[in-house]
Amino acid sequence: MKNKIFEKYFVLTPYFWLVIFFFIPLAIIFKISISVSEWGMPPYQDLIIFDNGFKFNATLYNYLYILGDIYYYGSFLNSLLLALISTIFCILIGFPIAFYIATSEIKIRNILLILVVIPFWSSFLLRVYAWKIILQNNGILNLLLLKLGIISEPLQLLYNQYAVIMGIVYTYLPLMILPLYGYLNKFDLNLIDASKDLGLNRIKTFFRIILPLSVPGIIAGSLLVFIPVVGEFIIPEMLGGSDRLYYGKILWEEFFVNRNWPGASALAFSGIFVLVLPIIIFQIIYSKWSQRNEI
Amino acid sequence: MNDSFFLKIEGISKSFGALRVLDNINLNISKSEFFGLLGASGSGKTTLLRILGGFEKPDSGKIFLDGHDITNLESFERPLNYMFQSYALFPHLNVYNNLAFGIKDHFNNLDIKDKVNKISKLLSIENLLERRIRQLSGGEQQRVALGRCLIKEPKLLLLDEPLAALDKKLRSKTQLELTSLQKKLGITFIFVTHDQEEAMSLSDKMAIMKDGKIIEHSDPETIYENPKNEYTANFVGIANILKISKNINSYFSDELGIQISLNNNVENNNFKILIRPEKIKITSMANNVENPSNSFKGKILEKSYLGSFTLYEVIRKNKIITVLDQNYSNDKNFNFPLGTEVLCRWTKESIKLLED
Repeated sequence: MKNKIFEKYFVLTPYFWLVIFFFIPLAIIFKISISVSEWGMPPYQDLIIFDNGFKFNATLYNYLYILGDIYYYGSFLNSLLLALISTIFCILIGFPIAFYIATSEIKIRNILLILVVIPFWSSFLLRVYAWKIILQNNGILNLLLLKLGIISEPLQLLYNQYAVIMGIVYTYLPLMILPLYGYLNKFDLNLIDASKDLGLNRIKTFFRIILPLSVPGIIAGSLLVFIPVVGEFIIPEMLGGSDRLYYGKILWEEFFVNRNWPGASALAFSGIFVLVLPIIIFQIIYSKWSQRNEI
Repeated sequence: MNDSFFLKIEGISKSFGALRVLDNINLNISKSEFFGLLGASGSGKTTLLRILGGFEKPDSGKIFLDGHDITNLESFERPLNYMFQSYALFPHLNVYNNLAFGIKDHFNNLDIKDKVNKISKLLSIENLLERRIRQLSGGEQQRVALGRCLIKEPKLLLLDEPLAALDKKLRSKTQLELTSLQKKLGITFIFVTHDQEEAMSLSDKMAIMKDGKIIEHSDPETIYENPKNEYTANFVGIANILKISKNINSYFSDELGIQISLNNNVENNNFKILIRPEKIKITSMANNVENPSNSFKGKILEKSYLGSFTLYEVIRKNKIITVLDQNYSNDKNFNFPLGTEVLCRWTKESIKLLED
């Protein structure tokens, strides 16, 4: 009997974890997002005021404010676009790498996998900073191009959206390669030979056999890249210029510079809403599709 | 002069790193032949099949199919098909689409449907067309894999261990079906196996491979009854091999300490002979005496009773001879108990000379 109770609560542990560290903070953020901001500490008014009775002091102002100002929703769209482009580049670069690793000999395979994972052993901040050193006006790349006589004056490589995309693709690529490798590793290479034997050339074989069977891996990798990139703050901050504003930076500024906690919370909460809702819908459609296709 | 052969393999060699997997393979195969490549694992048989399929490139040599040089053709350009040991069916497609996979780009939907129906009827899988690959049994998967190849009407079908993934009972049934199918369609089949019984029962002609070489190439009867070398004799069936030494015009087996009489004269002073277990007659000592040649007295060391026959291991000096005794008797006590002294004898005609 005692054991039964223990088992019951043991199984519930992850749920307690989720409630304490996910749902409660989420609820707090939601609460702040519908509060009225003011100067003070904390910088928002109470949600329920007991002043000569009972007053519910909630507002949708923060949300309407975001929707009404291109500065906010525009930066959010910028981030979505950035995440989309980065994910596509990660797929295009990551797929051949993952496929190559999955089809190489076991000895080489492990070395290649370690090479993919090695960047994780150094600080994320350092890796981004390293790109800054490479790309800056008197950086290695510009010096090299100058020495080779390809350019006559340093190129402005840093502080633009291309540097941001490059930095993101570089740092997030392993998150695409690893789940893809996991799927491609299980791939029966005979299927490729079988397709060729049945008369399909390499391109047709890729689109009819390899690609359809890698869809789950591509989706897993894309989610791992897309979601964090939308909220990415450090890379646009360090490599990006003032030409484009991104969601992560706006959120940070709203919170720490403007001290507008309700506004920042509303931004954060609508971010979650916009990201999570399509993913849930997508997952439902995809699981039905994959059940039908037995992948 | 060899132009009448349907498939000609000329001097194919292949190495993987330092390992020479195929060593100057020459082989001619006639049209509509059911050809078996038999060999132990590592003999190079699968590599040869994969080279024919176009999945590996040979280091040297040429392959001619129906008079055309196909050595440098990609696998998708070759007018032949390959059935994989694992079947390699496409898991994301149903049976219909697996069958139609190779013809989809070449015919309209109506013709495809027609062809799929025809082939599925031939293989009696017409009720499985909507099924997923995972929902099929091993035998059904094998039929789909076969159908996926045959629907392309190949000139040549290559089969890698076609029956290895099936359980024993299904295997013998499928064996018969495969033979009758091949005869009906008249397509040349080449299959690879490590199972000598399978090779014997399926093949019209077969080749034995060892260390990347073809060491024997003939029909199953010749290979069993009259093998050229000791390896083949041992690989196909059970073999009793005796070392013979010549003394003037008589021959002796020093291992058994008896005289051997042969049908023909042999030039060599030392050579080996083969006697198959079923050619040896085993009788009790009671009413028989040892002949001057081709017979010996021995003790029964081991026996395994297998119903229709019994396998005995008879020992004389330190040499063990295997004897197969067909169960003709109606008396259940016909079996010799272990340790019994028995007389074994054979005729001159049942002795086969081995070349090496």
